[in-house]
Amino acid sequence: MKIDGMDRAFMVIGENVHTTRALLRRNKRVTTDADGADVIGYVTGAGEQRFLPIPEVIKATQDFQEGRVKHFKAALLQAMSGTAGAQAEGIGYIQAIVDKQEAAGADYLDVNVDEISLKKEEQIEAMQWLTGRVQEMASRPLSIDSSDIDVIAAGLAAYDGRNGPAMLNSASMERPTALDMALQFGAAVVVTASGASAMPDGAHGRVANATTMIEAALEKGIPAKDIYLDPLVFPVSVDPEFGRHCLDAIREIRQRHGPDIHITGGISNASFGVPARKYINEAFLRLAVEAGADSGIMDPVQNDPNAALAPGTPSHAIALATDVVLGRDPDCKAYIKAWRKKELA
Amino acid sequence: MAELSDVQNQTIRDEIEEYLERPEEIARFIELFARAKPALQDIAAAIIEGDDDATDSLTAQALADGIEAIEIMDDGLIGGMGIVGIKFRENFVFVPEVLSCARAMRAGMAHIEPILSAAGVEKHGTVIMGTVKGDLHDIGKNLCIMMLRGSGFDVIDLGVDVAEDTFIDAVEESGAKVLGMSALLTTTMPNMGRTIEAFIDADLRDAVQIMVGGAPVTQEFSDDMGADGYGADALSCVAVAKELMSAVS
Repeated sequence: MKIDGMDRAFMVIGENVHTTRALLRRNKRVTTDADGADVIGYVTGAGEQRFLPIPEVIKATQDFQEGRVKHFKAALLQAMSGTAGAQAEGIGYIQAIVDKQEAAGADYLDVNVDEISLKKEEQIEAMQWLTGRVQEMASRPLSIDSSDIDVIAAGLAAYDGRNGPAMLNSASMERPTALDMALQFGAAVVVTASGASAMPDGAHGRVANATTMIEAALEKGIPAKDIYLDPLVFPVSVDPEFGRHCLDAIREIRQRHGPDIHITGGISNASFGVPARKYINEAFLRLAVEAGADSGIMDPVQNDPNAALAPGTPSHAIALATDVVLGRDPDCKAYIKAWRKKELA
Repeated sequence: MAELSDVQNQTIRDEIEEYLERPEEIARFIELFARAKPALQDIAAAIIEGDDDATDSLTAQALADGIEAIEIMDDGLIGGMGIVGIKFRENFVFVPEVLSCARAMRAGMAHIEPILSAAGVEKHGTVIMGTVKGDLHDIGKNLCIMMLRGSGFDVIDLGVDVAEDTFIDAVEESGAKVLGMSALLTTTMPNMGRTIEAFIDADLRDAVQIMVGGAPVTQEFSDDMGADGYGADALSCVAVAKELMSAVS
């Protein structure tokens, strides 16, 4: 998407077409219909209020008993195998999510079905089905995302390219064959800075792994513009150094590998474990772009990149969140204190 | 039965009143702190506030005053962390705050541990932790380890991408009674089940209690593969470890 004041486009890899997505049951969207059935409310692109019935298999889980509902998984289950009425709501729900992601500026729609089932055959079936449907619903290309390379292959094969070349999410030193697959399908590719046998330590480890992967991709003939480097974003609540590790790596990678590659990252990972995550995500995004990133794997509905990246003096909340990201607020003390006093909004 | 007013420390009274909601937990903590020595209530309060300097000096002072190390640990340090755990579960406190409480706990334990080990007293026991084969994710596992150590456990960290045999060897060598496995991917989750199978094949399943966790892991999956416990987050991991440890001792 185009961001005011930014020379180059900011590429949003919208991450809400995911079976991992959860809502708290106390969220007002999780409710009961006139017959007393458990449903999740949603609004269509045309503004109509609809209700997705929650499948029994989800209601039987302890996760649901304890107050969480995997809402996209519920929609996908209904859309694939619900009774006629429920099936229409499942499809409507997915369409509504696709519409919202695109309206908010998603450049790619990241599709992930990992939690639909533990069986590879069922993941493959779900990926084929979802890719087939989402490409019809969407105007943007799909990013095929899985922790299983065979599921990615199934998604790439099912995507007919009508919305532009696909993206493969992701290749890494532990999964180098994904680069060949990206080449085969003419897809852009997310390459992560994960090591062959461990997560990277600090900025140097990220830069070293990123360099290995970028060079391997270029050598295979993947154009620089199709490479999306993910330096790996770790939660700042766990270690105050984590924010800087990632930001320093972005700066170094941009310097070393030039302007043509893209630098992205899972923005919301930064805010795990902290309240009012939105501000931490926004602060991290601003700093990442300042350091040289030009993309984010993120939900543009929750975090509007245009607002996050708007020029000018950041708000009080963003200033506090920036201190958190840069490790200047140990244990997030000042930030959480401000949140408790309701000073962030 | 003890009343809230029997708890001498103001901070502890406020904490119980403000953050505890379940009647059985309120009763348990009132009973604990009403009988705990005032000096140990102060230690618990320092833990809850995540104040490692205060925990350090109060623990040293309590020992100098002749209070038994094990009593300081049980009533002061573990008592304080108990309230922190409930506050985390109920979203009153967050990961960085709990980590500071765990640091305070370790500052206190630094005084207690040498005394207990010299006297041959087992503390909570040893837990082996690792991320299963094929999976390199370690942030969640490391968070669990910080919390376990902060709650008085010894932890053997096997790292990431841990093969079945490595888990088995670690149990055999250390004699640890509890093993925790983490996985963050649906592709690697089945390796938890395979590791449990490997323990059965090695005739060692009864030697160890096995707990599992990680973002895509569920209670149902844990039950299906025959794990002994499941924790949804780092503090549930501590609660499950305590439960499993008491089941074997």
